[in-house]
Amino acid sequence: MLIEIKNLIKNYAIGENEIPALQDINLQIAKNEYVAIMGPSGSGKSTLMNILGCLDTPSEGHYYFNQVDVSTLDDDALSAMRNREIGFIFQNFNLLPRLNAFQNVELPLIYAAIPTHERKERALHALRRVGLENRMEHKPGELSGGQRQRVAIARALVTNPGILLADEPTGALDSKTGDDIMALFHELHREGNTIILITHEQSIADYAARNILIKDGRIHSDHPNVNRTIIN
Amino acid sequence: MEIKENIRLAVSGLTDHKFRSFLTMLGIIFGVASVIAMLSIGEGAKREAIAKYQDLGVNNIIVREKKMSDEELEEVRAKFSQGLSIKDAQVIREIVPGVSRIASQAEISTDVKYADKSVKSTVIGITPEFSEMMNYRLQNGEFINNSHYTHRAKVCVLGAGIAASLYRQEEPIGKMVKIEDQWMEVVGVLETKTLFTETVGELAARDLNNDVYVPLTTFLSRFSRENELSSEIQQITVQVAGSGHLMEVSHLMNEILKRHHFNNEDYGIIIPYELLKQEEKERQIYNFLLGAIAAISLIVGGIGIMNIMLATVMERTREIGIRRAIGARKSDIMRQFVSEAVAISITGGIIGVFLGVGLSLIVSLFTDVSTYIRPYSILIAFAFSVIVGISFGYLPAKNAANLKPVDSIRYE
Repeated sequence: MLIEIKNLIKNYAIGENEIPALQDINLQIAKNEYVAIMGPSGSGKSTLMNILGCLDTPSEGHYYFNQVDVSTLDDDALSAMRNREIGFIFQNFNLLPRLNAFQNVELPLIYAAIPTHERKERALHALRRVGLENRMEHKPGELSGGQRQRVAIARALVTNPGILLADEPTGALDSKTGDDIMALFHELHREGNTIILITHEQSIADYAARNILIKDGRIHSDHPNVNRTIIN
Repeated sequence: MEIKENIRLAVSGLTDHKFRSFLTMLGIIFGVASVIAMLSIGEGAKREAIAKYQDLGVNNIIVREKKMSDEELEEVRAKFSQGLSIKDAQVIREIVPGVSRIASQAEISTDVKYADKSVKSTVIGITPEFSEMMNYRLQNGEFINNSHYTHRAKVCVLGAGIAASLYRQEEPIGKMVKIEDQWMEVVGVLETKTLFTETVGELAARDLNNDVYVPLTTFLSRFSRENELSSEIQQITVQVAGSGHLMEVSHLMNEILKRHHFNNEDYGIIIPYELLKQEEKERQIYNFLLGAIAAISLIVGGIGIMNIMLATVMERTREIGIRRAIGARKSDIMRQFVSEAVAISITGGIIGVFLGVGLSLIVSLFTDVSTYIRPYSILIAFAFSVIVGISFGYLPAKNAANLKPVDSIRYE
């Protein structure tokens, strides 16, 4: 099992009080799954995403990634996990505005201390994969929303991570561009990538093979998606 | 992350906001410039003092006739003192241990003439030992030697200034000059010496370049004293082997001279080395003050860096969050921000070095304060600026590194 979450609890301290954000989460995700985690805002899905993405650690319980208990790792090890195993894709792209597309994609490899030559090759390869090899010199400000999200996807792919973790990836895009991005996710899944989508839109969740619904910090439902949107 | 990447990142952090970086640097620029300028002024003053006392000889003790009015002089003579004499020099040489050389000199102030030109000058009668004791260098010809001395030769050596005013384009060597009613042949011309601009004890400030040197024997037999009460000679210069005994030797000399002058204090003793040390001590306070001012301006510069960097960290919270999300460790963020601070302070340091060198040149060109830049002072100022960068970049960098990725990634 690629991801295994056991009896996970996450509380936030607000003043004196502890506010539970996630309660008693048990979850397993296998390699090459395509999962959508759904839920209204305030349901705890963002908290779950932060924990899945090693940006945050659980208050109680365990999170195993490839049999490694992430809840016991220190900050440096979490950074290394994020670097090697997690490919983040954000709603607002989160590209560095002063770097061009190529440099943005190259960045995770710099933190992974990959030698220059190999870095260039892999960044180029990732940009080709998302169809942006002729936009490498452009800064994010000079690219369209769809192109920016493709750069972000290339940046997520470049380290060959264990999972692609996409947080509302089409939230800032028009529906046509959003569909293109979802088509790209579909291809990436077919190529063997494990994808976790965080979304509050049913139409986006419909692209995934499995839907998990979070409500009030608990898993409300978890089932294969029978009405899956078909992309050829 | 590799060092190369760090440097690239730091440089781009600098060039992305050129004007802001420049403003941030200003404090360091002025700090480093003032350190260099201040050190160069201190060093210049030191060198000037050393040069001055070196002319007097750091191993020398100088006994000089005290300036007195005619009444005082009469009173002293009435109390049996004959004033400074060659006899005094002989007694010192015989009795005082540790004296390696001794030179007597007699002086008169008079006009020295050549053709239609006349220059007011101090004519000094010297012994051959004089040239060995003083660091006087010849531009041309030779100095007064033993043969001149023993034969009471009518020869003289001219200071550079008087030689230039009397002879202009002509070659002075071999020409005759008229001193009082005596014709003397010029055998040598000295190199230009630094002006003796301060009165030291009984040594009055004057332009040494207008002095004329003749053999003491010639002087005593050819020139009359300024008046019948004048002493035989005006100065005895005693060279001591090793500067460690200067004080003891001078005390002993004082005792002897006091006895021979029947307790009349008609002479003064000057120890250039002691004066040099004393002046150095006084200057230390002054230098410390200058250094403190410069150091404060560097610290203020550092605070300027810290201030801007702290604001920058706020502004770049999102960037930090992104970097952390894609795998930057705390130490990577830390290094990024410290490197930026160091890049700012190094660049400021380099500009400051040039400004400081320029400033000290301007000071020495347009004022009579002399400056001297030692290479090490540039190194110190520069090293200081790097240290300031590291230490004042540390806090903002730490703040940046300690931002929680989960919060900073969503920071608007």
